[in-house]
Amino acid sequence: MEMDRESGKLEQIVSQFRSKILHVILDSRVPSLHQQQQESLSLSRVRKTDKWFNLVLGDRPPALENLNFSLRNLLDPMVIDIILVRHGSCSSSVDNLYVPSAAAAAAAAGPSIETVIERWVVQYDCPRVFATPSGADAAVSYKKIYKKCILLLRSLYTQMRLLPAYIIFRQLSSLSQTYNFDLVYKVSSFSHPFSREEEDGMKVYSFAPVEALPGCLCVSVTYHASLSDFNLEPLVSLPPKIITDYVGSPTTDPMRSFPSSERGAHATSFPLRGLRPPSSAPFQRPHSWSSGFHRGIPPTRTQSLAGSPPVYRTSPKPYDITSPPTDLYGNRIQNHRVSTLQQATAFDEYKLSPPFSPSASPSTPTYLSGANPLLTRHCSETAPVTIPLPLTGRSTRYLSPNSSDPSRHSLPPLSPRSSKHDASSQESPSGIRSYRKLEALRAGESPSGLSNLYSAPKVVRDSKDDSGRFSGLLSSSGSPRIGFSRSSSRLSFQDDMDDCEFSCPFDVDDVDVSDSSSQNTESKRASEFTAQSNLVGKKSQDAAVGILVHMLRTAPPLRQDSSCYSTHSLRTEYEGGVGIASGFFMPRKTADALEELNSYREMKDLLLSKSGMK
Amino acid sequence: MNCEVCQLKELEVEHFEIREVLRCILHTIVFHRALGLVRPKDVDLELFEITYVQCGDVELEKKIDEKIDQFISWVEKHPNKKSQICLSFYEVKSKQPSWFTNKTERLYWEQWYVNLNVTQHPKHLSSKLHHTKVVVDPGESATEERSSRRAMVEASLREVLFQIIKFVNEKKDHVPPISEGVIYFPYEITMPSSSDSAFGMDMIKRMLHSGHPTMLS
Repeated sequence: MEMDRESGKLEQIVSQFRSKILHVILDSRVPSLHQQQQESLSLSRVRKTDKWFNLVLGDRPPALENLNFSLRNLLDPMVIDIILVRHGSCSSSVDNLYVPSAAAAAAAAGPSIETVIERWVVQYDCPRVFATPSGADAAVSYKKIYKKCILLLRSLYTQMRLLPAYIIFRQLSSLSQTYNFDLVYKVSSFSHPFSREEEDGMKVYSFAPVEALPGCLCVSVTYHASLSDFNLEPLVSLPPKIITDYVGSPTTDPMRSFPSSERGAHATSFPLRGLRPPSSAPFQRPHSWSSGFHRGIPPTRTQSLAGSPPVYRTSPKPYDITSPPTDLYGNRIQNHRVSTLQQATAFDEYKLSPPFSPSASPSTPTYLSGANPLLTRHCSETAPVTIPLPLTGRSTRYLSPNSSDPSRHSLPPLSPRSSKHDASSQESPSGIRSYRKLEALRAGESPSGLSNLYSAPKVVRDSKDDSGRFSGLLSSSGSPRIGFSRSSSRLSFQDDMDDCEFSCPFDVDDVDVSDSSSQNTESKRASEFTAQSNLVGKKSQDAAVGILVHMLRTAPPLRQDSSCYSTHSLRTEYEGGVGIASGFFMPRKTADALEELNSYREMKDLLLSKSGMK
Repeated sequence: MNCEVCQLKELEVEHFEIREVLRCILHTIVFHRALGLVRPKDVDLELFEITYVQCGDVELEKKIDEKIDQFISWVEKHPNKKSQICLSFYEVKSKQPSWFTNKTERLYWEQWYVNLNVTQHPKHLSSKLHHTKVVVDPGESATEERSSRRAMVEASLREVLFQIIKFVNEKKDHVPPISEGVIYFPYEITMPSSSDSAFGMDMIKRMLHSGHPTMLS
């Protein structure tokens, strides 16, 4: 019983000693195993296997565990061959110019030559008949054995780094170059003896045996003293080159850097629009997708999309793109900057548009994290689809006229910007007319059925923001409502068309009345008030944002009974002299909108006739 | 207990090579005598293509660097002199206190002598010649000489390291048993002091304490 216990201890020491030696050897000769060990060492925790012989080496590779199992007979020698595999050279040196990997080079090359450059032999020499120590002698014996094993392992560990093969191992471990050779290992319980040619140039070193009664542990190594005869050289590869004119560099036309503003993160309009100078808009909402769009886009596409590139060039910001030294470094920096800008834009988006949760544009975080810029651009075009429709009163009105229309959902939701824009382009004439009408009314008239219009001036000034609001206001009074709905439906149709192009919902207004007024039959009258509307527009854009926000906050659910469509749903506020109206919930149809438009025209004619009579 | 002594092969080094050479040798010796739980740390020399192993103890590394600094300052004061650094491992034994001895004594069980011959830097020679306006043969010959000399020093350093490995392997019985929780054995690094006579007295004192076999003969 005691003898079995003692022999078990010895067996354990010998077994662990073999495993430890194998681990030390493979860790210093096989690059892939060494990398695994480095990763496990970084965890800085001592495993049970590390405590053996007081040498922390990290996790044992799985291959090592399998080898231990296959070589569990401790009396068999453990032969570890370190084999240098030299891949055949190609006939043409040009083929070596670009080698993606050593494996690929090996595949492309001719037959490989394998040479054993080191052979380690670990053996426990034990006589067949022996007497095992017992009692106190055994304990002292095992302690001495264990101490001597520790000393042997220390010297073996040091020597592994002094032999010539270690230099090859370090070369292969470095990732900077590829080589036409590789190091592999073979572990077995027997070995073919070296030929005379192989023995030439090889040396033998035997470690002092460790007495482990009844036998002794012997470790020896046969190695090539010099590896210069093998002509081991790195593969010729293209030297790293710094590309200064990469796509996206500010120095490369027609690319440009991000436009910057005093706020740091600023809005960049979608280049397709090309209608808005970024600096003129007092409210600039940053767009994470548009910022991603500007990065890394081929110049041709950018040229076709961008409106006026020089407009967006601003002073460099920390997150602006500068020319990174290399592509890899540039990508890293871009990703870093993307993440930085993304955080800023996400915050600003949430801050400026509370009803729109960050999830409203879910694609923005994902495709900004180092995604393909082309994909980024594609995503940027479709990002606004996620804006919830019910939150936009105007969109509700526009899309609900035909709730059964499947295309309603396919159309991108209307954006306040587009609303504003379209309002300014399409609505301003009507809005201006309403203003003019109201002025006429104030002059002394109080037409029936238009009492509600007295509150309209506040609406009118903001009418360009949302014609729907105006129409809703008027619709509360009866027929004018109908007329207005028609106009709004007409505008909604145009908005829908426009939204196919303008997909960023919160782009800053680009009040360009001149383009859209040409479509209006009242263009002359519109142009008279253009300057005034522009002035009002500029003053009220900040207020318009607040109006919009308030409107969206107070917007009722999508599904509303028509009976709810009343003045109670209207609320007016004065903000900088601009009134707002909110709460238009009635589903409208296109026919209603047309009727409203016609009624409005009738009103217009009536007013004109009256003014002409005076 | 016998005190095993190992006289390492003499190395001819230049002043700027002292630090790296001594670090390599001293840490290699200590690694072989740090029998507690260690996490080995590979260190690449900058001047030579040699990788040595440290036991990873920060305190030890700091102490060795301090001793190397002392040695370098001594070398600067005594140029062109052969010098020796002694790395000793001892056990602390308690004994009966007396008038002239302490309660504890150190029993040295192993001593390593690192022999260095610090030569003057060739640049000093070239600068002197430059002042006298004598054209020194520049270019490839100086570079080749430097590289060949560097290769010789590297080869000698490798020999010293192999010598350490061989000594550690051949002599194991004198190593004391490993104490629980102790990483490395108590050690001492001595070097020539400001005066050679004092260095000699230190050596004699150590021999008296350790009962060196040479003193008995």
